[in-house]
Amino acid sequence: MSTAPLIEFNNVSRTFGTGDKTVTAVEDVSLSVDRGEVYGVIGFSGAGKSTLIRLINGLERPTAGSVHVLGQEISAMREGQLTKVRSRIGMVFQQFNLFHSRNVAGNVAYPLKVAGWKKAEREARVEELLEFVGLTAKAAQYPEQLSGGQKQRVGIARALAAKPDILLADESTSALDPNTTGEVLRLLRRANEELGITIVAITHEMEVIRSIADRVAVMDQGRIVESGLVYDVFSSPRETKDASFVGAALKNRPTAEDVQRIRGHASGRLVVISLQNAAAVSAVLGEAASHGVSFEIVHGGMNTTKNASYGLLTLALDGDSHSVEAFVAALDSAGEVQEVHE
Amino acid sequence: MIDTYRALDWSYYGPELLEAIFDTIYMVAWAFLLGGLLGLAIGLTLYTTREGGLLSNKSACMAMNFIVNLIRPIPFVILIAALQPVTIFVIGSGIGNDAVIFVMIWASTFAIARIVEQNLVSIDPGVIEAARAMGASRLRIILTVLLPEALGPLILGYTFVIIALTDMSALAGIIGGGGIGNFAIVEGYNRFNPEVTWLAVIVVILFVQSLQLVGNWAARKVMRR
Repeated sequence: MSTAPLIEFNNVSRTFGTGDKTVTAVEDVSLSVDRGEVYGVIGFSGAGKSTLIRLINGLERPTAGSVHVLGQEISAMREGQLTKVRSRIGMVFQQFNLFHSRNVAGNVAYPLKVAGWKKAEREARVEELLEFVGLTAKAAQYPEQLSGGQKQRVGIARALAAKPDILLADESTSALDPNTTGEVLRLLRRANEELGITIVAITHEMEVIRSIADRVAVMDQGRIVESGLVYDVFSSPRETKDASFVGAALKNRPTAEDVQRIRGHASGRLVVISLQNAAAVSAVLGEAASHGVSFEIVHGGMNTTKNASYGLLTLALDGDSHSVEAFVAALDSAGEVQEVHE
Repeated sequence: MIDTYRALDWSYYGPELLEAIFDTIYMVAWAFLLGGLLGLAIGLTLYTTREGGLLSNKSACMAMNFIVNLIRPIPFVILIAALQPVTIFVIGSGIGNDAVIFVMIWASTFAIARIVEQNLVSIDPGVIEAARAMGASRLRIILTVLLPEALGPLILGYTFVIIALTDMSALAGIIGGGGIGNFAIVEGYNRFNPEVTWLAVIVVILFVQSLQLVGNWAARKVMRR
């Protein structure tokens, strides 16, 4: 039982509408999430992420395939049967979705009422949670009196209230500024590390994946185009679509506009080199002059994930074609080289 | 003109006016209470059976909309006449205050149904989704999320209806009911006694103003703004 995945999708599709107006939000997705991990799903808006995460707690129903969560087939249950399993799955929303008619304590207490906790236990639990998210002093305030970051912390406290096994984070930081984003992400990471909660986070922000995810799936037009450990996926994206998304999100791969701008001041052959072994790349670059090649760094960036760092550099190489070819071969032995298509 | 002028004789008009005020309150209160509850039920049905709603049901939604749209456009004075056989069957009499209340319940039920529906539509669907995600049952969501979240606007909507009911109650006289409207016509207008009519006008203004003040105060308290 403990080795079975907590969440399992088998060839899941979800389409909306009928006939010519059919829209496929999720197409043939299979994935599994293990207990205790943080699983990130990243993609542009409209990629089907929101539908995907809602299939986990039955807010959406698949039109094909099956979804198993916590040992139960969610996709086969009726709305009335879902209430029990939903109390074991917390959810945090982009727009917070707090109850305006209830104060902070009332919002956090609501799922406890739903789960049938007694009043004294509820009060103790609410106090504990508000301390966890650092909002003890705001217990009697109403949502409209709070800042965006505070609202999301209430949202997290509320989602964690009934001691769920799984936390779903639906673009949980997309409505927040960068400072507040960090604050909320630290809180999610603590929920995972200190409380052992399994988290599924969907986002279009690389920041979220980098700072909390163990594994990531890249979603495009309803499909998962790549998945794996965060470091592996980001350091060497396989598919071109995927590469363009990851590159755009990391800003370390030049876009067509970047290339045009670079061409304004740099000539020569443009190559992108990955910095998984930055020391080896530096050593080769140091020998450029002896190859009869001059180079200019025209684009690039380094990024840090939960447990490793990686990056890409774009170089403009000048010299006679044989020398450049030999130099590129040397570079390729230090780090994978890709041509820049213009 | 001098002929028709009569001074306000309080020893006569005082008790008459008091009784008229009592009749108005009696009619408005009962119609508001029963119409308010029925209207709430129908309004919730209209809202929750919509496409994508908690109890999404296309045919129920269409049927309910049809009924509401059928009754709502009927002018109150015509409704009094048209419902006469039903009123006699249910109330036992087609005249008097209770017969008027019966027709007012019909009118207010369908007015409130639309007002409830419109105010519920303005609730952020995300809040309902959040409650669903927590495992709240549909009935619990209706009672503990939908109604509290829309309470402020609902109070204002109900205030609007109670004032509309005061307006309707003024027509009670045409089927032998009492109230301030009847007082203004019978004692004032019919007897060429404009002071009495104006007295009734002042009483109605005070009545409506105080209802609106209470409604505004309650809504503000709920919305904390």
